[in-house]
Amino acid sequence: MKKTLLSSLTALVALATPLAAQAGTLTVKGSDTMVILVQRWAEEFMKKNPGTKVQVTGGGSGTGLSALQNGTTDIAMSSREMKEAEQEKLRARFSTTGVEIPVAKDGVTFYVNETNPVTALTVEQLKGIYLGDTTNWKDVGGPAANIVLYSRENSSGTYSFVKDNVLGGDDYAANAQTLPGTAAVVNAVAKEKNGIGYGGAAYAKGVKELKIKKGSEEFAPTADNVKSGKYPLSRNLFFYLRNKPSGEAKAFIDFTLSPEGQAVVTKVGYFPVK
Amino acid sequence: MRNLLVALLTLTSSAALAQSAEPQTPAVSETQPTEATAAAEPTVDERMTTAEGKVAALEEQNATAQSDLSALKKLKISGYIQARYQYQESLDDYGTGGFSRFTVRRGRLKATYTTDLAQAMLQIDATPSGVVLKDAEATLFIPGTKQTWSLTAGQTKWPFGYEAPQSSSDREFPERSRVIRAFLPGERDRGVKLNGRYDFLRLNIGVFDGNGTDSGTVQDNDKDKDVIGRVGFDLKWIAGGVSGWYGDSLGKLANDEFRTAYKRTRIGADLQVYLDVLPIGGTALKGEFIAGKTFGGANNATNLNASAHGYWLLLVQNLGLSDAVAVRFDSFDARNGAPNVEANGVPGANNTVNTVGVLVQHYFGENLKVSAVYEIPMTAKVADAKDPKDNLFTLQMQARF
Repeated sequence: MKKTLLSSLTALVALATPLAAQAGTLTVKGSDTMVILVQRWAEEFMKKNPGTKVQVTGGGSGTGLSALQNGTTDIAMSSREMKEAEQEKLRARFSTTGVEIPVAKDGVTFYVNETNPVTALTVEQLKGIYLGDTTNWKDVGGPAANIVLYSRENSSGTYSFVKDNVLGGDDYAANAQTLPGTAAVVNAVAKEKNGIGYGGAAYAKGVKELKIKKGSEEFAPTADNVKSGKYPLSRNLFFYLRNKPSGEAKAFIDFTLSPEGQAVVTKVGYFPVK
Repeated sequence: MRNLLVALLTLTSSAALAQSAEPQTPAVSETQPTEATAAAEPTVDERMTTAEGKVAALEEQNATAQSDLSALKKLKISGYIQARYQYQESLDDYGTGGFSRFTVRRGRLKATYTTDLAQAMLQIDATPSGVVLKDAEATLFIPGTKQTWSLTAGQTKWPFGYEAPQSSSDREFPERSRVIRAFLPGERDRGVKLNGRYDFLRLNIGVFDGNGTDSGTVQDNDKDKDVIGRVGFDLKWIAGGVSGWYGDSLGKLANDEFRTAYKRTRIGADLQVYLDVLPIGGTALKGEFIAGKTFGGANNATNLNASAHGYWLLLVQNLGLSDAVAVRFDSFDARNGAPNVEANGVPGANNTVNTVGVLVQHYFGENLKVSAVYEIPMTAKVADAKDPKDNLFTLQMQARF
């Protein structure tokens, strides 16, 4: 019996090859909103630390957090806070609650085609549009044309953010076309004159950013409005780790939060967290 | 859209040119077919109309595909298989009892369909001993609560304590501790429960038949319902709660002429702490205490009106990403206040049993974990009685999907 037990334990220990990335390689996975920012950080970081390779992949916040729970990424990028169910999985698998690090700020932005005369909408109007209650631009001060809705996949943190903060938790209209990333949403809106989409502020190139109306005031997703909280769709962008950062992960995170790293945030089009 | 049309137009005209080139015969000079082709070529308006028709057809197909996909995304199929080898030493010096066997302990298949307002969940357990229904839940997410409050009806887990509601696929040790198996056998029952959370507070409370799914009956045997609930908190690194159970169980004791309703009650407290202090990985410390009356066996008949209590403590230390070690101590006293006894050198059936278990666990990739567990039950002994040799080794492979 003792031999059976001992050999079983020895076999288990011998097979204890970690799931983690190889030494010298740091994997970062998740939010498509954050990919353009983290890729820039990775490029700058690798110039200074040639011995470390930082691999950045998107897929959505949900995908990144799922990879964190499965042990297949070192850092998860997320444009939303970790959900209770995700935290529960992390606790069950790794006996940890995870470490949350805000690394930048963003204002979730609604984009319309540059030819669209509409410049600002209230959150209620956006809710009506994305729930499918408002289907024509003329109902919100635009031309008489059907609204073409573009949305994201449900693994996207931005999808969840808009659902919770704009739609009040209700589901998107069935005719909203699901696209695989913010770049695809921007591209679609740039080509479709009656289109509307949403995503991170840094992606708004070749499309018109809508301001958000609050009473008689209108707020654009600018650094001041996001920082002050006047822009109602402001949010943090996060890194999540299983444990307190150490080694290469700590060095990379320290860099992202340094003045140099935060300058990259501004260059990319997001807003510094500090 | 314009770019797409241009691309389609280019493709259409290339295809038209390719097709028009085919009928050429060797007798015709190479310059002539161009004129013939130009004459047969549709006008720009015609090509636009054709292209627009194709785009409209593609959009329609896309909308249909998205609608189908949207429905499929709401359906989640999951499950796990626990295959085991177990070795238990002979119970006495004469080689009585004990075993060396392979088993399939659990073979779960779960289907969950979730919408904004509702969830349907069905879980079966397929093992060599048969296929049984584990869960059949109909859940309403209370409108306006962003799915933080819900009402579940059907066959579902009792909202009591920590280890009973915890999934067997997440639990470190192969089986629940002895006190949980006594007070919450099968962990499930038919009833209705309210689940909610507000900030860090948690509430789960329900009304159930009371006998549970392990009672061997599919119908309740009395008109009284049992009220079961837990009030808890969750501050991420520390979580816990207190639980209560109040109800009746119908049965006959030796002196009863007719079946009598006996009180079935439990109180419990649980606590879980998660620490990130060691560089080798996370540490979890968990514990639970339960005391109650009327428990165990079919319809709780074997321990009708009997009071008992027990507790368990668990320490889990993760080692990197793929490994963990754990130690669990659990204690169960089947008769509160009654002295431990012996007969013919054997400890009494209701004597206190303390069990120490040690575990080593390794993950192979994302979906497979192997656990090696050695458990040492220690039955309280008096006089010349000996602790039975019932130590148990379990090697379990769990694959999850």
